Amino acid sequence: MVDQLPNLGREKEMLEAMGMSSIDDLFADLPESVRMLEDLPLRPPQSEEGIIADAKRLLGANVALGDRVSFLGAGLNRNYVPASVFQLITRGEFLTSYTPYQPEVSQGMLQAMWEFQTLISELVGLEISNLSVYDSSTAAAEALTCSVRIHNRKAEQKDTVYISELVPPARMSVIHNYTQGAGINLKSLKHNDDGTLDLESLAEAAGSCGVYVEQPNPIGVLDGGLVRVKEIIGENTAFIVGVAPVSLGVIEAPGNYGADIVVGEGQALGSPITYGGPLYGIFACTKAYLRQMPGRIVGKSIDVDGKVAFCLTLSTREQHIRRHRATSNICTNETLIALMGAMHMALLGPEGLEKLAYRNLAACQLGKAKLSEIDSIKIPHMNSSHYNEFVIELPGSAADCIEYLDSHGVVGGYDLGNWYQDKKNWLLVSFSDQTQASEIELLAAHLAVWAASQLQEVLV
Amino acid sequence: MSQLFEHNGAEGKGYSQPDPIMSTDNLHIPNNLMRSNKARWPRISEPEMVRHYTWLSSRNFGIDTGFYPLGSCTMKHNPRVNEVIAQLPGIADIHPLQPDHHIQGTLAIFHEMQHMLAVCAGMDDVTLQPVAGAQGEFTAIRCIQEYFRHRGELQRTKVIVPDSAHGTNPASAAMAGFEIVEIPSQEDGRIDLAALRAVVGDDTAAMMITNPNTLGLFETDIAEAAEIVHEAGGQMYYDGANFNAILGRTSPGIMGFDAVHYNLHKTFSQPHGGGGPGSGPIGVKSHLAEFLPGPVVKKRPIMPDDKLTSINTEWWYHWYEPQYTIGKVQQWHGNSGAVIRSWAYYRRYGKDLRAMSEHAVLNANYLRHRIMEEAKIAGVDHLFCDGAEIEVVKHEFTLSMAPMKEELGVGAMDVAKGLLDKGYMAPTVYFPLVVPECMMFEPTETESKDTLDEFAKKFIEVLQEDPEVLHNAPITTKVRRVDEVYAARNLTLSYPFEE
Repeated sequence: MVDQLPNLGREKEMLEAMGMSSIDDLFADLPESVRMLEDLPLRPPQSEEGIIADAKRLLGANVALGDRVSFLGAGLNRNYVPASVFQLITRGEFLTSYTPYQPEVSQGMLQAMWEFQTLISELVGLEISNLSVYDSSTAAAEALTCSVRIHNRKAEQKDTVYISELVPPARMSVIHNYTQGAGINLKSLKHNDDGTLDLESLAEAAGSCGVYVEQPNPIGVLDGGLVRVKEIIGENTAFIVGVAPVSLGVIEAPGNYGADIVVGEGQALGSPITYGGPLYGIFACTKAYLRQMPGRIVGKSIDVDGKVAFCLTLSTREQHIRRHRATSNICTNETLIALMGAMHMALLGPEGLEKLAYRNLAACQLGKAKLSEIDSIKIPHMNSSHYNEFVIELPGSAADCIEYLDSHGVVGGYDLGNWYQDKKNWLLVSFSDQTQASEIELLAAHLAVWAASQLQEVLV
Repeated sequence: MSQLFEHNGAEGKGYSQPDPIMSTDNLHIPNNLMRSNKARWPRISEPEMVRHYTWLSSRNFGIDTGFYPLGSCTMKHNPRVNEVIAQLPGIADIHPLQPDHHIQGTLAIFHEMQHMLAVCAGMDDVTLQPVAGAQGEFTAIRCIQEYFRHRGELQRTKVIVPDSAHGTNPASAAMAGFEIVEIPSQEDGRIDLAALRAVVGDDTAAMMITNPNTLGLFETDIAEAAEIVHEAGGQMYYDGANFNAILGRTSPGIMGFDAVHYNLHKTFSQPHGGGGPGSGPIGVKSHLAEFLPGPVVKKRPIMPDDKLTSINTEWWYHWYEPQYTIGKVQQWHGNSGAVIRSWAYYRRYGKDLRAMSEHAVLNANYLRHRIMEEAKIAGVDHLFCDGAEIEVVKHEFTLSMAPMKEELGVGAMDVAKGLLDKGYMAPTVYFPLVVPECMMFEPTETESKDTLDEFAKKFIEVLQEDPEVLHNAPITTKVRRVDEVYAARNLTLSYPFEE
């Protein structure tokens, strides 16, 4: 503490200048009935060295994914972030600045975020991007409320949006919390047995305000059928696509197949997983949605000398101006993480992104080839194409399998019984650019042994 | 070169990466999903990229650059050890779906943070999930909404906010589906109990208020306000944006609040990062605890089957799903990296967090005093007045530049721009809306007396400038006054590539 408060020991001098004699005088306006009379019942202060030692002791007891062979993903996959990104964002001019309300002394962050908007626009194939929302779940939720504000007047199905039935419960819960206040009905879109969207039943969604699907979807399926969605749902229904941004190095930009709004989890570009936060949510859209979109936007302008200058723009959508009529309550966002994303994207370039996407595709598809060789393990969506992850159906419970793998030093994946109640034997296994071929061999070997033991149990 | 997109080196220029682990010739990708045109991203080498972002950083003002008295934002120093800790693999490289026995260290830290935040605010339970202050407000209001639904009090559809409230308060309550009732402040900027009495009723769900308020004044009638709202059956919500003023001196719990949000990026030194990330945990009294977003961390004595780690000497930490939970507001466990940084910050102070608040209030009052003193010496004290008549302020204070505007045509924005020329970040301007030509100063506890003395002098120098100079300020910055109207009329939201 003594190293954090410059005026420790100078209190008397400062108080006397004000004609006061004690710190208590500064709190004289607190009515006695609301004063805290005793010390905070908390621990004593600690030195920097002591804090570091405790942090290492506590966090060192965790199992870091880098210490294990891991196939856990489910939307957050292990990635590599170039060293220069970490070095650059520790610059205090970025790290310790706030929202650039004074553009004359904030050109650095403003320009960086304008460049971020451009990088995202180019990536997803849409004209407009904001400078980030919190994460992919809030991005999806904000996209849905935005679609209702835009389309409700003309919609045949008022206050109604359709969402892929595969969207995991946690993401759906966020969507529910963000949409219930506006009285929005959430309806479900069916999928085929091969994991792709059921385009026949999609026709029901025509006339609603918006449709939300993911590409790849939550079980890793790349769905070619999504290119037909916009023609099925029509002009007055927003087509919202959630993306894994790195996949777009190889996979078509949704803006090129009719998406009106693209959202997604930015993490794979620029950020470690960090136990699920901070991340950054991508939010991009066509011009038609611009004035109803959430979050901050940077525009290019000029200063009084006609020099290029950047500033925040279209603020009249935002809470500090429009208050309860704002398009969203978002104020603080994820700028610094978006900045990490911009740096990573800049370093990758178009070909670097393509290669990174291929590395992810290759790891996943090698995994699929290897695991499909195990007799007693089925791959329910075998004929579909996959990115980052796919489902394997086990001859026993996924929870047991994960425990077995854990006892052998392998973080085995995710038990889909937690997402889909009737799928207790489904394991979601995830692969990324960090996955090695030898790790896949190891997983296959352990799975084969465990699966065989399950079959024996059945025979006994 | 200043433009990222003008870097167009050789194909594939950028950082090197290993090859894919199998041949990409036979990958299974739907034909109609192959990308048709590459993103027009720059092709830039590492040295060029490092120089670009270093150049950008040189065009940005942070706390590390200089004094940043941005009212309502609590721009305090960000201790660097927090950054070091947040990069440890035990937090940076763990996944939110790992089982409890993989993450006992993180859960122990989260438990300690939940406890500390509850103690400081006089609350019973805390969730760390909301990722920003506004999301914390929204989360708490959702908990209150579900609490009333659970009790069958469906008629409670209104949320009361004072006209001096942060914009996020009405925006968050409206997002949850509430009708907003705004009540005027008294002449002195404080809450008007008569106005409050006039609007409360059995349709009141909650009142949202911050204390000290946005004028930096302690709401002396707060306990009575709480009583009025509670008697009507409503809940009291504390906007924790100004929490930095009161730690260890009073608490929302003592004042009669039922729910509170914390801004870890204000009070607990998570860096603001140019606009985020933040973290907005909420604390609640026990009657709201089972409505919190799930899960929250609990601890119990260790049991024989626990897969103990090196830190489980006595306790086992685990996630717990509240019985009537509103569900989730972020799909994982919130901005955990921010929570870890704030934990390191808390450890620096421990129970002396009270000294932190005392110094924040000392600095705000001292700066206000010095500005008044210097203004009198220079004979410019008639050019501004207090935003609110008051003996002592808390962590921030407001000045109205309305007299100067009237006399010289120089408004708060002109003065703000003049301060940029002196090498300072400007205070918050034009907020709260109830003070005409408002400037809002929050020095925080991490500024030295010398910095405050110097700033007071420079502020007065600005007031003595020729009005024309101030209309034209700033002149020393990287760009001069930026045309915001031009930006809105000629929307250029991305790099204009030549087609």
